[in-house]
Amino acid sequence: MSTSNKNGYLLLSYSDEWYNDLSLEELQKVVAQNKAWVDGLMAQGKVKGGQALAREGVTISGNNRRVVSDGPFAESKEVIGGTLLLDVATMEEAVAIAKACPGLRYNMNIEVRPISDECPQTARLRQLEQQLATAPA
Amino acid sequence: MITQSNNGYLIIFRGTDWYKGLSPEQMQQVADNWMAWFNRLKDEGKCAGGNPLEREGKIVSGKARMVSDGPFAESKETIGGYFLLTVPSMDEAVAIAQQCPGLPYGVRVEVRPIAAECPMVQEVESKEHLAHA
Repeated sequence: MSTSNKNGYLLLSYSDEWYNDLSLEELQKVVAQNKAWVDGLMAQGKVKGGQALAREGVTISGNNRRVVSDGPFAESKEVIGGTLLLDVATMEEAVAIAKACPGLRYNMNIEVRPISDECPQTARLRQLEQQLATAPA
Repeated sequence: MITQSNNGYLIIFRGTDWYKGLSPEQMQQVADNWMAWFNRLKDEGKCAGGNPLEREGKIVSGKARMVSDGPFAESKETIGGYFLLTVPSMDEAVAIAQQCPGLPYGVRVEVRPIAAECPMVQEVESKEHLAHA
């Protein structure tokens, strides 16, 4: 596990539509808290970008490039609800930011992933080439 | 299904085990094709950016804010990276996603419209609307 990364970190939030079950007052409160969380991070220059995703979409898979599944994904907990691209230097800081997300109280999950310099298959390729180069003849 | 989005689309590449069975030459070829595809989309003004992700990370979950490790390696579900597309329709986003050079090797591509605002905020607005109706 690398604990420092100059490319930043991506937060991916996963949840079902927990917010549909809240009262208007509860929901207004959590929306305000969420906005304060993001605004605070932006004011500190710790956010490079982010997207809220609509709860719909499609997945494409296979050699024939077919559209294999169709959203919406309302019921699922495995759906990505949004992203936040963090301009922070360490995994510890990215995790600390994720832990402050107000939605966690409602059993949301947040994935914290370091942004890579290069495609991992390119990194794997280099690793294989090095192994070949150092292997005894 | 929203077929038009003013905010663009996120295409998400899933799978982190697909290249394990490839020869170094095949891997190089797919990596080159992938990079050429990304650069072409950027040149055409259809892609605002993208990032590959490391095969590692943490998950922060639930009320307890428990922190755990992956697993992010060698999984079919793990997100390997994403592109941010600036195209105006789902049809065009899907057509681009179908060009992904990893598809024949088992990569799956998820295409998601970007919302103008968080769905949570939309829910507040619809509840407010009901409350005032």
